[in-house]
Amino acid sequence: MRFKQLVTFIATASAVFAQPAATGISGAPAAGGDSFIIKGATVHPVSGADIQNGSVIVRNGKILGVGKNLAAPKDLKIIDGKGLHVYPGMIDAATEIGLVEISSVRETSDTTELGKFNPHLVALTAVNPESEHIPVTRFNGITSALTMPAGQLISGQVSLIHLDGWTTDEMGIKPRAGLHMRMPAIATPRGNFAFDSGDAPGGGGRNSFTEAKRNFDKEMAELNEFFESARRYMQLKAAQPAGFKPDLKLDAMIPVLEGKEPVLITAVREREIKDALAFADKQKLKIILLDAQEAWKVTKEIKEHNVPVVLGPMLSLPLNEDDPYDRQYTTPADLLKAGILFSIGTLEGNANLASRNLPFQAAQAVAFGLPHDEAIKAVTINAAQIWGVGDQIGTLEEGKWADLILTDGDPLEATTTVKQVFVKGKPSDMGNKQRQLYEKYINRPN
Amino acid sequence: MTQRFSALWRSRRLPASWSTAALTALALASVAPPHLLAQTKGTWLLQDARIVPVSGPALDHGAVLVRDGLIEAVGANLPGLNIPKDASVIDCKGLTIYPGLVDGLSNWGLTNSPPTSAAPAAGGRGGGRGPAPAPAAPTPTPAPQGQTASRGPEDRPSTTSWIKAADQLYPNDRALETARNGGFTSAVTFPTGNIFSGQGSVINLAGERAGDLVLAEAVGQYLSLRTAGFRSYPGSLMGTIAYIRQIYLDADRYKLAKAIYEKHPQGLQRPAYDRALEGVLASQRILLPATRNVEVERMLAFAQELKINDVKVNAILYGGHEAWRSIDVLKQSGTPVLLSLKYPEKATDADPALDEADRILELRDKAPNTPGALAKAGIKFAFYSDGVATPRELKAAVKKAIDAGLDPAAALRALTLSPAEIFGVSDRIGSIEKGKIANLVVADGDLFATSTKVKYVFIDGARFEPPVEEAAPARPNGGRGAGRGGPAR
Repeated sequence: MRFKQLVTFIATASAVFAQPAATGISGAPAAGGDSFIIKGATVHPVSGADIQNGSVIVRNGKILGVGKNLAAPKDLKIIDGKGLHVYPGMIDAATEIGLVEISSVRETSDTTELGKFNPHLVALTAVNPESEHIPVTRFNGITSALTMPAGQLISGQVSLIHLDGWTTDEMGIKPRAGLHMRMPAIATPRGNFAFDSGDAPGGGGRNSFTEAKRNFDKEMAELNEFFESARRYMQLKAAQPAGFKPDLKLDAMIPVLEGKEPVLITAVREREIKDALAFADKQKLKIILLDAQEAWKVTKEIKEHNVPVVLGPMLSLPLNEDDPYDRQYTTPADLLKAGILFSIGTLEGNANLASRNLPFQAAQAVAFGLPHDEAIKAVTINAAQIWGVGDQIGTLEEGKWADLILTDGDPLEATTTVKQVFVKGKPSDMGNKQRQLYEKYINRPN
Repeated sequence: MTQRFSALWRSRRLPASWSTAALTALALASVAPPHLLAQTKGTWLLQDARIVPVSGPALDHGAVLVRDGLIEAVGANLPGLNIPKDASVIDCKGLTIYPGLVDGLSNWGLTNSPPTSAAPAAGGRGGGRGPAPAPAAPTPTPAPQGQTASRGPEDRPSTTSWIKAADQLYPNDRALETARNGGFTSAVTFPTGNIFSGQGSVINLAGERAGDLVLAEAVGQYLSLRTAGFRSYPGSLMGTIAYIRQIYLDADRYKLAKAIYEKHPQGLQRPAYDRALEGVLASQRILLPATRNVEVERMLAFAQELKINDVKVNAILYGGHEAWRSIDVLKQSGTPVLLSLKYPEKATDADPALDEADRILELRDKAPNTPGALAKAGIKFAFYSDGVATPRELKAAVKKAIDAGLDPAAALRALTLSPAEIFGVSDRIGSIEKGKIANLVVADGDLFATSTKVKYVFIDGARFEPPVEEAAPARPNGGRGAGRGGPAR
């Protein structure tokens, strides 16, 4: 009784904690087995219509079949999915999971290298497979994430990882999934509180537009020069003259310049988004916009450029004082209407924006006009397509990794419990730090 | 020339001192700064002018007789025969005489910046919340000692309540000259930059020595709600307000303890001398910052709260840009308001893509409505220049208020008699009346019309002639000529 109340309380009150509830299902194979069949569940392949009383066959970590009344080999372990739902595992399209443990403790934060241009850094190198955040995040049904370095202009290569594995190699899906770049911004004071008593009349002014523009122009020039020097290096490398000196930094730019690797550009406001599109045209880059909070203002241009967008968390404040309160919540619906491919990332390792809340970010968009199936797509197949692994993860289809979750309901609902997570067909340990603490304190004598 | 001439003429009647007087005059003219000459207070008869006394109806073809720095008579033109023999007559046909303008809250005279040929207008005043903008020159207000990291109210953080502006004056402050040229003759000038910044003084804007400027040395205490930042108390608005509250409680008790001790000092421990509380107890009025409606309401309630003590609290609000929203509460409280003439404006170097909040745009749009709204409601208010001192800018700011519904007569009053009344010096300045100090502005038309030029400014009966703005041909004679804004000869 008390247990149930507490579950309801925690789930409804905050949705910050992963739901502490009974997990582990009868008949789940012991760790190590990556072949099984789930029977009698409602299957949501995302790639197609839901299948009532359906089955999913997994063999050697890959999905062998999805459907109704599938014939399975006799020796295959059977998991009873009666009353449960099967979804593809969710994908956090941009986060810092594995790189940051406690953001306020510098020693546990591995996101940032010194310098403006660090294209040769690879996030996966620094991912901590033992991070306490990983099991907590997984518990909410997130099976993979795009983790990214942060920093000045070019902070490094982002890595797509599975949220289970003993080593970084085991976790890596695509170690060099893209190059993270921050679009230079003309940062002027917003002056929202400029007219309280005694403040200098006329608003801010410490950082004038002229000065901000000068800094911007300087950064743009540096950025363009860096891309040009990388281009010269690429030609030089192709020619292989005697005494050619390899350079890791510039070498890392080659796939980007060849258009094989996308550039993930953080561009929040309208001006930066337009600048990013222009920059992509100029340097002939394949880009993905990140945290494009004003993308709703620029949908036409974004669509024309056929650029996908990774939005930041929905559960955040509007950018401008006079924006409607639901400005952030309605952006996904706006992008859908404009036909722009988008996904959602939780961005920084900040406690309130952590990866584990990804489903609730998507759910917020559903409450403000995004169709439910599109929200599910946004955190599954859309993310996979944006990161170039649409053939490997994101839906329940034959041949894909068996990243799937077994739930007692809609994974976007805070009250739903994820009963079991499978990553590459292996059942993940559903234990986590928050659950440990829950069990510790629920048993505390009064 | 008339003044010099009449001085000589008078000297001639006193032959014993003739040669010394003439020599002194010559010596002053050649070596001393030009304003020294103005201290030779003469007798002036301003004839045939339109007179706007502010205290009463305007008078056409009137005359003002000024003697020894005071207004001796105001009335219809004196018939030729009755013109006093010692008076220098100025024919003011077509000119209008106004009382000299009074800046209701100022920091003129407190910066040591001597006049230069291209003196910029004084910067806006600081105070209020947040750090004060750096002044053009070091202000004389001494930094409170040992307050780099105060721990609580007992350290008296950010408090210089005992300082008087009158003791910190620089008669050479170039701001005085700029203001004079704009038609200002007096100001209520305050030390600023602290929570309890110090006592303001009513000053005239010309004088040889600092003491010559002072009309009233302590008319009120300037308060701001600035916070000390991270490491020092008070570091928040609530801390600052709690501190002011504590100071008033302390002052109340201090006053009581002192009274008891003074009656029977023997056998009693003496109360420790506290300059911060002395300054608070000596404050005739307190100036509280309130630009926005929320601040107006907060400060009015706060002033009420402070009144539970036996310490004098005459609150005056300053800022007031959003006071158009606060009419009812202001009317009810009867608290006077000092309105800044520096309306909020878009920064000159603003980001063209800046998406400004509606409330900021609204404040910008409606701030000039405030004077008219206050006047209509009968709330006592005065203008303060807040850094607007050049004639052109000042006129533009007042005109904005008039265009937004302020009666022109009320506008003039808010720059003359009203500030004088608010600070208790209306028996001396603020209007053209017999016996008042001869602070006058003579203009060639309506004072706030754009085309109008200020012809003369009289301060304490001394005449100043503002330089002709645009394209004045340089006068060839150097040393003895009147400098920019110097007194006329």
